[in-house]
Amino acid sequence: MNGSAPISIRDLSVFYGDLQVLKHINLDIPAKRITVIIGPSGCGKTTLLKSLNRLLDTTEGVRVQGEVVLDGENIYAPRTEVTRIRKKMGLLSQKPQVLPMSIYENVAYGPKIHGLKSRQDLDRQVEHYLKVAGLWDEVKDRLREPASGLSVGQQQRLCLARGLAVEPEIILGDEPTSALDPQSSQNVERRLIELKQEYTVVVVTHILRQARRVADYLAFLYLGELVEHGPAAEVFANPRDPRTRAYLTGEIS
Amino acid sequence: MNGVANGHLGKRKRADVFFRVLATASAAVVLLSLILILGTILWKSVPALSLSMLTQTPKGGFYLGKEGGILNAILGSLYLAVGATVLAFLLSLPLALYLNLYKGRASKTAVWTRFFLDVLWGVPSIVYGAFGFVIMLALGLRVSLLAGMLTVALLEFPIMCRAIDEVMRLVPLELKEASDSLGATRFETAFKVMVRQCAPGILTGVLLAFGRGIGDAASVLFTAGFTDRIPTSLADPAATLPLAIFFQLGTPFPEVQQRAYASAAVLTLIILLISLAARAMSRKVTRHVVR
Repeated sequence: MNGSAPISIRDLSVFYGDLQVLKHINLDIPAKRITVIIGPSGCGKTTLLKSLNRLLDTTEGVRVQGEVVLDGENIYAPRTEVTRIRKKMGLLSQKPQVLPMSIYENVAYGPKIHGLKSRQDLDRQVEHYLKVAGLWDEVKDRLREPASGLSVGQQQRLCLARGLAVEPEIILGDEPTSALDPQSSQNVERRLIELKQEYTVVVVTHILRQARRVADYLAFLYLGELVEHGPAAEVFANPRDPRTRAYLTGEIS
Repeated sequence: MNGVANGHLGKRKRADVFFRVLATASAAVVLLSLILILGTILWKSVPALSLSMLTQTPKGGFYLGKEGGILNAILGSLYLAVGATVLAFLLSLPLALYLNLYKGRASKTAVWTRFFLDVLWGVPSIVYGAFGFVIMLALGLRVSLLAGMLTVALLEFPIMCRAIDEVMRLVPLELKEASDSLGATRFETAFKVMVRQCAPGILTGVLLAFGRGIGDAASVLFTAGFTDRIPTSLADPAATLPLAIFFQLGTPFPEVQQRAYASAAVLTLIILLISLAARAMSRKVTRHVVR
């Protein structure tokens, strides 16, 4: 990787109390690619993902060491404005979490808090990002209805539209399809593949087949350690570390 | 072998029947007490109930009034409870948000604050009355609507705050993260997401506290006083329904005692109306709640 990596993780360690869940991670995440972080549950995948937009430090008892450099700036530097960092990333969580407001307001929430006021602009943004997320046709006639009335698959696409509407550079997905049925999962995967034209995507998954389908770059995490990383095709074909090989063949899970 | 099994089964069945009877009886006691309370109050108040009860201040020589009405106490109670509830709300909502968003919900601060609130909840209202009295004197206030409001606000605060806090604790952490990850400030997450998600619970908490405030006699005894006039400023003393009941019931005159029951009926009616209004409102505020 060269210096153009939008996110560069340097010697990152995370502690929950006395327990070290991430151990000296070094990883450059390539721009406009889908980077997939795989590993057995409890290996620190979600922690790594959440450390990228500083969602972790809101949790009591969490200590972060090391650096995450985003656009040349260490986001853990003392005076960093957290809201500005987060605006650069959209997050898809395991279970889609819609906000307690209408479908329209869910998408307009981000642009509104970041200062967009004009009704017309908001309407345009909402329509645009609902289309990008592939949800517009299903909801265009009921934008004012509560978002909680949508199906889980629709809610996840709404969350995607909501995340995109703040115009981030990076999309983070924390097992974004784990609560969805196969068809909705496929739908979300397809969106992610389309989106890498314009965005840098980082996805955590424990589904190997999903990783094979979407990954350009692969990182394998085991017990808090970054065991192996590299272009997905290479790692899948020729894992160098015996632990990676064992995980890919299903010996450890 | 068989006998033992049968005996065992019989014992289990008896336990089952016994508990079912106990549970049914408990339900019946709850229902009956409510009916009896309402029935007694209404029955005893019938002779005194009239439109003038609701629209006039006491007349007839002494401030309890054999004639006229209890408008002084109705308005006094409403002013006082509304004022106190607003004050308590201004403390409760920020504190509940602070515990759940600004501090971790399981943080030491939150755990200890909850403990203090629970202790305050359990403090008898006469103690609040005495405390309010001391504060009132220290502030150079006299027995007045304002002093009553402050005291009742103190009484309502732990109830309202804990009720709101309990609903906020149930909000999934992911909802907060969803708002945070869009670059929202804590303030935005608090008021645009938390408050909306918890709106029904907040409403319930406010009403619970209001009901407790409007029905309390001991806390206003030394602080709001009693008068047959309608208060026109915060510095005036104010009559309240619970104290009206207390004083009227304490007289040796049956006519005045009947008026005590009428006052009780009015107080109950106010609380009933507010509960109904809240029910109607809650349908609106629950519309967008995420489950």
